[in-house]
Amino acid sequence: MKRFWSDLKKHNGYALYAAKAELKAEVASSYLNWIWWVLEPLCFMIIYSIVFGYIFNAREQYFSVFIFIGITAWDFFSRNLRNSVRMVKKNKAIVSKVYIPKFILVLSKMYVNGFKMLISFAIIIIMLVVYRVPITINIVLVIPLLAILWVLSFGLMCILLHFGVFIDDLSNIINLLLKFVFYMTGIFYNIETRIGKKNPMLGSLVGEWNPMAYLIISFRKVILYGETPKLILIAVWFAISCLISIYGVHLIYKNENSYVKVI
Amino acid sequence: MSEKASAISVRNVSITYKWIKAYSIKKNLLRLKKADNQIVEAVKNVSFEVPEGSILGIIGKNGSGKSTILKALAGIFSADEGEIDLHGHSVSLLAIGVGFQKELTGRENILLCGMLLGFSEDYVREKMPEIIKFAEIGKFIDMPVRTYSSGMYSKLAFSITAILETDIMLVDEVLSVGDHKFKKKSFKKMQELISDSHRTVVIVSHSIPSLRSLCQNVIWMHDGEIKRMGEANEVLDEYTEFMN
Repeated sequence: MKRFWSDLKKHNGYALYAAKAELKAEVASSYLNWIWWVLEPLCFMIIYSIVFGYIFNAREQYFSVFIFIGITAWDFFSRNLRNSVRMVKKNKAIVSKVYIPKFILVLSKMYVNGFKMLISFAIIIIMLVVYRVPITINIVLVIPLLAILWVLSFGLMCILLHFGVFIDDLSNIINLLLKFVFYMTGIFYNIETRIGKKNPMLGSLVGEWNPMAYLIISFRKVILYGETPKLILIAVWFAISCLISIYGVHLIYKNENSYVKVI
Repeated sequence: MSEKASAISVRNVSITYKWIKAYSIKKNLLRLKKADNQIVEAVKNVSFEVPEGSILGIIGKNGSGKSTILKALAGIFSADEGEIDLHGHSVSLLAIGVGFQKELTGRENILLCGMLLGFSEDYVREKMPEIIKFAEIGKFIDMPVRTYSSGMYSKLAFSITAILETDIMLVDEVLSVGDHKFKKKSFKKMQELISDSHRTVVIVSHSIPSLRSLCQNVIWMHDGEIKRMGEANEVLDEYTEFMN
């Protein structure tokens, strides 16, 4: 644990700078590129709004913002996870030449995706103003919710990074799983009304014990509807996320020296 | 052992590659027979000491475990048996162009690469002018690295690792980069770096002349074991004979 903090302190600068470099490189390859960071989630929001708002007749208040919040959180999560599977192989040039704690690679990727998420959040704020959504004090809960999202992603990424080294086709499985969780997370529908009404048990199971669903539902509650989510679940999920992260970091520390031999 | 303290102690180190073929679920479903893991012993029970400030050369034919030892010293992977003690010295493998981002300028890549090697941002910034001066690539330093010729690329890369100093330097193949003039200059710089009395250097190379001129002691590795260890000229003479 102590080693983790000292490694973090020593290498965090690199992680940040590498993230900055990656973003810059992305922009440099084409002038329009950063616009895509804004355009992509916006376009998806429009597509989902049309499909689910019009065809499936969804009746949630502030439906576009509702969807946009879901996309923002989900994109961060799924991009992170998908990137982490092949992390070591992608960075072979670095990994086989210098020693860095491998979770620094994870962290660097998170900064990249986190920055894109920040842009999305800026758009959400603009949308809140445009739609004149009343803001309540509940909005401060966004901070602990984001913290859970961050720690949870970090932990899962560490674990995926580890197994991604040894299992060649893990990325296929992860893509499948992510797709499943995507539909179970209620990006474009309201779990509480859609599933919860038909089967309250299943509704609360999916809505509270799928962390992404819980996070997204809570984000919407605190940002859009001025409600307070179950606070005890915030604590529970934060604790679980921390445990996952500790396990992930431990796993990496124990095995990272053999990664180079495999790739 | 000499009167100086050791900078590197290697005790009974063995390193094996387990040829863990990255495992694939698809393959395992299709073919239930378990692939037997081949075990390759790259380094077998090797021990040596490197006194502080000295220069050690390692020679041997391909696949004799030279580079494996070097990587283990750099901490890239750990020994399976035995131990490696660096006595708290900082160490770096002189690696060319690690972590370069082709879209970024030379200046930004210096920072990126330096920080990857574990130096603080401030320290790299402080050393920046020196690196740029040594690399002598002129105004290209503010251009994206992808526009560089391969010579400029390696000149910049070499300068970064040469100027950012660590206590122990590990060199895989003596570097020959750039044009004739830069080659001479980098060789001189290497010699200068190496002859610094506080710096410990381990060089892996196939080049007998450069080992002869740089090193005091040489280890000759053969099939993962130390065949001869001792004064440079003696070992190298014997090695030349053996290879012929």
